[in-house]
Amino acid sequence: MNGPHGYAGKILRVDLSSGRRWSEDLDERTAKKWVGGVGLGVKYLYEEVPPGVEWSDPENRLIWASGPLAGSGVFGAATFNVATKGPVTNLGGSSQANGFFGAYLKSAGYDGMVFQGASPTPVCLVIRDGATEIRDVRHLTGKDVWEVETLLRQELGAKGRDVSIFAIGPAGENGVRYSAIVGDSGHLAAHNGVGAVMGSKNLKAVVAYKGSHTFGVFDPEALKKANRELYEVARVAGPPLAKWGTGGGFSSVYGAGALPVRNLTTNLYPNHERMNGQFIRTHFEVEPKPCHKCPVSHVVEVTVTEGPYCGFVGEEPEYECLAAWGPMIGNEEAGATVMLTKEADRLGLDCNEASWTIGWAIECFEKGVFTTHDTDGIELSWGNVEGVRELLNRIAKRQGYLGNLLADGVMRASRQVGGAAADWAVYTYKGNTPRTHDHRGRWCELFDTCVSNTSNIESTFGGVKPELVDLPAVTDPFSHEEVSTLNAKFNGIRQFDDCLGICRLASPDPKLILKCLNAVTGWDWSLQDAFTVGRRVVNQLRVFNFRHGMKAEDERPSTRYGSIPVDGPAQGKNIMEKWAWMLENYYRLMGWHPATGKPLPQTLEKLDLGELIKDL
Amino acid sequence: MPKVSVDFWTWMGKDLGGNARSSSEMRSILEIVVEDGTTARMLLDRLAQDYRPVAEKVFQREKQRLYPHVVAILNDRVIREIDLYDAVLNEGDRITILPQYVGG
Repeated sequence: MNGPHGYAGKILRVDLSSGRRWSEDLDERTAKKWVGGVGLGVKYLYEEVPPGVEWSDPENRLIWASGPLAGSGVFGAATFNVATKGPVTNLGGSSQANGFFGAYLKSAGYDGMVFQGASPTPVCLVIRDGATEIRDVRHLTGKDVWEVETLLRQELGAKGRDVSIFAIGPAGENGVRYSAIVGDSGHLAAHNGVGAVMGSKNLKAVVAYKGSHTFGVFDPEALKKANRELYEVARVAGPPLAKWGTGGGFSSVYGAGALPVRNLTTNLYPNHERMNGQFIRTHFEVEPKPCHKCPVSHVVEVTVTEGPYCGFVGEEPEYECLAAWGPMIGNEEAGATVMLTKEADRLGLDCNEASWTIGWAIECFEKGVFTTHDTDGIELSWGNVEGVRELLNRIAKRQGYLGNLLADGVMRASRQVGGAAADWAVYTYKGNTPRTHDHRGRWCELFDTCVSNTSNIESTFGGVKPELVDLPAVTDPFSHEEVSTLNAKFNGIRQFDDCLGICRLASPDPKLILKCLNAVTGWDWSLQDAFTVGRRVVNQLRVFNFRHGMKAEDERPSTRYGSIPVDGPAQGKNIMEKWAWMLENYYRLMGWHPATGKPLPQTLEKLDLGELIKDL
Repeated sequence: MPKVSVDFWTWMGKDLGGNARSSSEMRSILEIVVEDGTTARMLLDRLAQDYRPVAEKVFQREKQRLYPHVVAILNDRVIREIDLYDAVLNEGDRITILPQYVGG
């Protein structure tokens, strides 16, 4: 035991240009200021990536960090966060993955890793009980993430859950802007092209052995008690997660007008009950594949038992993948979503950005903007799942005109094509796409996605359960005032969660999470302390982004993303009517300048970020 | 007297007894004839009185409002909570009760 309670006490540094590795101590002061996960990520990002460094430059940093609850025994706590300057927004951002890695990293003796430089040839980092090795993996070039995992296991002689492996696929190697880091058989850190940054550093994979390093827990009995309470909450929360997976909420999303259908050209998808979690789990064969010490165990592998993909085996699509490869592309065959989910994961692609990009391309084909000449023969019509499979492969390899065009994401592709098609693309002006929802029926999340500094949602779960942090629920989900006000008040707790190394699905109650944190660390933190850490993360990232070229006028949705639904439960709702007012209200409540959106000096001082004032 | 329906998408399964149609474990549909002038709030209160799962998961009788974690839709349109409660029900009206969702 080296560090403060809850911490391994070391950060691993890796210079991929030279192959040099060393470690730095993580002291209690740093731990209390940044906690871990995204907190540690934005600390290193800000300190070590100055303006002028581009996402693909060797000087960019790729920071993987776990948190104090990972590996502590808190159910499902093995999450790690990846922070970097990413290619989708060309700004800072963060993304998380569950599975086993976060816990194994700590058991190997490290709270986090900072990669810098770029290797001249493809390499893999292996971490085992404090020791590290950089292996030449030129023979893995072009392999998909499943092949990489299988081959590395064979080469290392690893069995079962001895190791956790996260890798990039062909997409990350080829600089596809929305490449993901994929591991533990289907878990992804996907947003803002973290896999492309990994590819730019020629880092093909990272392997963490389950190690023997332990860390101190301040009050094990209190932790046990809080953990048990947390489990009870997780067990009964919302649509039964363990029973139906996140796809259990699919029909609810549809019912509320927030299911993305055919690139937002409609909200109608009447066969939703043949695509939801309940359908999948009552029609297909299911085998549980739980994450590290997770009794909720919502992750399963499925074997398709009917339809054209009968016999296909893959991880069960989470809600976002169901939406991406179901309604978004006009597909109504549940088995096909299993196939396309595995295909996108295998290639190392973010299903969110990939599906918005392909949904737009299909609309372009249907309306005659693209022809079979542009698609090299693919009839890219709604519901052509085999066409989508082929297109995913071309994108991952940047193959052909369309594969290369779409590999840069929907904002850049649509601007290049221009004309009316430019208005059909769904994105924010910072460059990122939303999660796979139709946010025109979920304003909290639309607004959050546009003003976020993380490249994805930052503040809310779409406004879900504010009462858990003592905030009033929104009474009108389409009120410009209520939405912008709640988002500002809510902002902080979510980023705090992402500092801890926990899975939010297994740990849905912030107050119980705090109990766990206090039991592990011996701190006596309140909800207010948690919000302060989260807001510190948000503000540091925001200053980073302004220094790297972000503009307040980019905090808005594209024409289609901010359009008025023509049918469905949210028909006629117009968020853009008072967009400027929402922004100003939000900026004021966040302690930012109401016109420029820049954090005010007093806001930074209050968050112990006074040293950033000179940078604005 | 108008006949209306309440479509619970709240995983109540067979909890509503033989009175509900269930197309799946997720959905339970009740069809009810109500007095002229009945509002949505009055109907939800009556259902919470008649069916314990509705009182436990959907409508809080003591506060006379929906639980914060459910969303109500009237005739396939999202509606402000306050407008829902005072809406006088007409023949063929349909209230849909959804649980809040997170995504994933």
